[in-house]
Amino acid sequence: MSISLRVNGSDHEIQSDGETPLLWVLRDELGLKGSKFGCGMGQCGACTVHIDGQAIRSCITPLEQVSGPVTTIEGLATDAGLHPVQEAWIEHNVPQCGYCQSGQIMSAVALLAQEPNPDDERIRRYMSGNLCRCGTYPRIHAAIRAVADGGDA
Amino acid sequence: MNVSRRDLFRLGAAGSGALVLSMTLPGCASRQSREPSHEQGWAPNAWLELDPEGGVVFTLDRVEMGQGTYTGITTLVAEELDVPPERIEVRFAPVGSDYTNPEYQLQVTGGSTSLRTSWQPIRAGAARVRYVLVNAAADVWQVQSDQITTRDGAAHHADGNQTLPYGELVSLASRQSLPDEVELKARDDFRYIGKHDQRLDARAKVTGEAVFGIDVERDGLVYAVVTRPPMQGAWLESVDDAQARQMPGVIDVLTIERGVAVVAENYWQARKAQEKLAIRWDETDAVTKDHKAVFTQYRRAADDSSGDTERSEGDAWGRLEATDNRFEAEYEAPFLAHATMEPQNATAEVSDTGMQVWAPTQGPDMARIAAARVSRFSPDEITVHTTFLGGGFGRRLTQEYVEEVAAIADRVERPVKLIWSREEDIRHDMYRPAMLHRFRASLDGSRIQAWDHQVTGPLIFDWFARNAAAAQYPWAPKFLYNTLASMGRMTEDTFLTPKDHSAIEGAVEYPYDVPNILVRHTHADAGIPVSYWRSVGHSHNGFAVETFMDELAHEAGEDPVAFRLQHLADKPRHRRVLELAAEKADWSGPLPEGRARGVALHRSFGTYVAQVVEASIENQRIRVHRVVCATDCGQMVNPDVVRMQMEGGIIFGLTAALYGWIDWEEGRLQQSNFHDYILMRQEETPEIDVILVDSDEGPQGVGEPGTPPAIPALGNALFALTGERQRRTPFSAESANG
Repeated sequence: MSISLRVNGSDHEIQSDGETPLLWVLRDELGLKGSKFGCGMGQCGACTVHIDGQAIRSCITPLEQVSGPVTTIEGLATDAGLHPVQEAWIEHNVPQCGYCQSGQIMSAVALLAQEPNPDDERIRRYMSGNLCRCGTYPRIHAAIRAVADGGDA
Repeated sequence: MNVSRRDLFRLGAAGSGALVLSMTLPGCASRQSREPSHEQGWAPNAWLELDPEGGVVFTLDRVEMGQGTYTGITTLVAEELDVPPERIEVRFAPVGSDYTNPEYQLQVTGGSTSLRTSWQPIRAGAARVRYVLVNAAADVWQVQSDQITTRDGAAHHADGNQTLPYGELVSLASRQSLPDEVELKARDDFRYIGKHDQRLDARAKVTGEAVFGIDVERDGLVYAVVTRPPMQGAWLESVDDAQARQMPGVIDVLTIERGVAVVAENYWQARKAQEKLAIRWDETDAVTKDHKAVFTQYRRAADDSSGDTERSEGDAWGRLEATDNRFEAEYEAPFLAHATMEPQNATAEVSDTGMQVWAPTQGPDMARIAAARVSRFSPDEITVHTTFLGGGFGRRLTQEYVEEVAAIADRVERPVKLIWSREEDIRHDMYRPAMLHRFRASLDGSRIQAWDHQVTGPLIFDWFARNAAAAQYPWAPKFLYNTLASMGRMTEDTFLTPKDHSAIEGAVEYPYDVPNILVRHTHADAGIPVSYWRSVGHSHNGFAVETFMDELAHEAGEDPVAFRLQHLADKPRHRRVLELAAEKADWSGPLPEGRARGVALHRSFGTYVAQVVEASIENQRIRVHRVVCATDCGQMVNPDVVRMQMEGGIIFGLTAALYGWIDWEEGRLQQSNFHDYILMRQEETPEIDVILVDSDEGPQGVGEPGTPPAIPALGNALFALTGERQRRTPFSAESANG
């Protein structure tokens, strides 16, 4: 039995067991390696993707429970270029090792889609589900602040 | 050693018509001479390649783990070649003696050495290529070379009308001879060094395109997981894999030296099958010490042996005996895990001719030895491809994951990717060693008269030698690997093997002007595997030394900044960063109710860092509000990368100060994932203000020096707030010494 999955605008039929976490389907069945494995228990946010625009942790989301279209880091950019959050990330030199940044960006995009102009406290709280061992937090905050203040996320 | 400049750089042409520069770092020349020489003009280890279409490819000999070598070293090439950094394609180097880090005689990225050791040779190599390009243009235009300038990847004629892009000069230039000497640009002429601030890897890292070890793809790839002994020193007694083998997708179950491997068609199938293994472990020889037992061992060792004298000036013990104005304190630093965001992993594929390994590793030459050790292949049959590293911090200097995947791939017909879970990553780390510090000091008025610092704990090299020793002799037969490691350990601190400074670095360099100084190391090893962890010995010595300095300032009734400055009369760079940090933090200025400041100053990896931390305790939780950091790292190649490293180093240090804790119960490690091995999160992150000192000195390390002072600066702030001294990490908001 196969499971249908819509990812970044494309439809796929997946043969994996329904209990398989979405993360491994995205990475190893669909070749979308931008979403990362960090903890396997929803603690670090490196695997964050969107389902119906909501940020979820794909490492603890079984394939069979995916209820809507999935967007991954690979699906953020359009023909017009990178997403404003990605541009802000480059502008602020956010990434160091870069491993957590796909997840950070997916969380930031989801936040700004819900609340185009969150205050500093809201940014801090919302982004606390995403760990970064390199310590890029101040720049993540600044990049989100810049997009929010620019108002075009 | 007598090697002419000409031998260090070689110019050649590649088949595609490209110009190729190969070079050997000066410190590596003695090793180079032991290996077959390449008489055909240029060695295969190309550093810089310019093709007729204008492409420039730079082979980066250091790995990129977030610290910025990808941008920094490429900026050095860009500067002397006069090509914009973003137009240079960067490739990660394979294993090769020409890529050895001269500081270690190993192909290692660590010790915050990358820019320090690359600063001269990389620029000298690129400048030589620019020289032959200029001479080629001079031949074309029939003018003297001083009539030619270079800019944006092209030669420009002084008449202002003629331009030749480098690509068009490549063929002619490759027939020029390299100069013996070449003049490097003066600082005033820098176009990119000190100015270029955009990370060259940023775009790949915000689009998800950057390839980390865990992202490596191979046709027919299968996935492996390994169950390892639950206690250090335990061994596999028996395994019943019948049920596991019945699970969907399982290809094989193998016993390897480090545990039991399950190989399956996909990762999740391997994990599900792993749960079905029934394993019995022989725990007879297992290490059962917990943190408390380790420190009991350390205290006994410190009582029994005064240790090796690492620095001695004046007569510290004599002075201490002769006065009553004497102070003592003891500090504890626990074991810590690295917790890189990318868990350990590696991929290997066997063919008729050898093995290929893809690994996020800080030591590709040691990875090659690790793979050879457990497979049928010799090092020269093994190719190691390095990827982007999802964090390093020293974790990837040892090669257990490579050893495991190589052992598995050697017995499986298909390419294999091994991925550690987070739990495995925390529980099978090589930890920052726990260390015990004992101090005695005496005061004469407000001046320290005697300082006695005893550091007790293990030497990291005892654990690191396993693959490092053989990596220095890659032609040695495999049965000698363990002998080489033992010899390496036994000859530590002789002409054969460098001294292991890991226990005492940051203690022996005690910078303060004190007439009687004694620094000692008492060796004590608990049998728990240890390794390098961001800033290594400085991480605990910085904490202990700068906290005890604060205690002495308090005993002397002096302001902590003024007290330090009094003991730094002839240390202008130390003074400068301390004064700058204090000024920017408004050290003596008013604070909101319930907050206090603490200060620390520590030099490591050649870089001077002073920090002032502002903290409070709210609802019995420590809150860090602000960190002001002044840094003098010599000349900066990418100032914003320096700033990033300070920010990250501070957060790394504060994470250890607030949360870092690894402990065992009956030999079983108690932490497992981010809910119990806690990292600082966005909402706890303080405002961080980094001040960079302009300097003409050579560039020094920046990846690590931000970490050590953050810990004591916070502890000293908590003392100012509560009057309770923080003598062990992680710090306590309730009672410091309870």
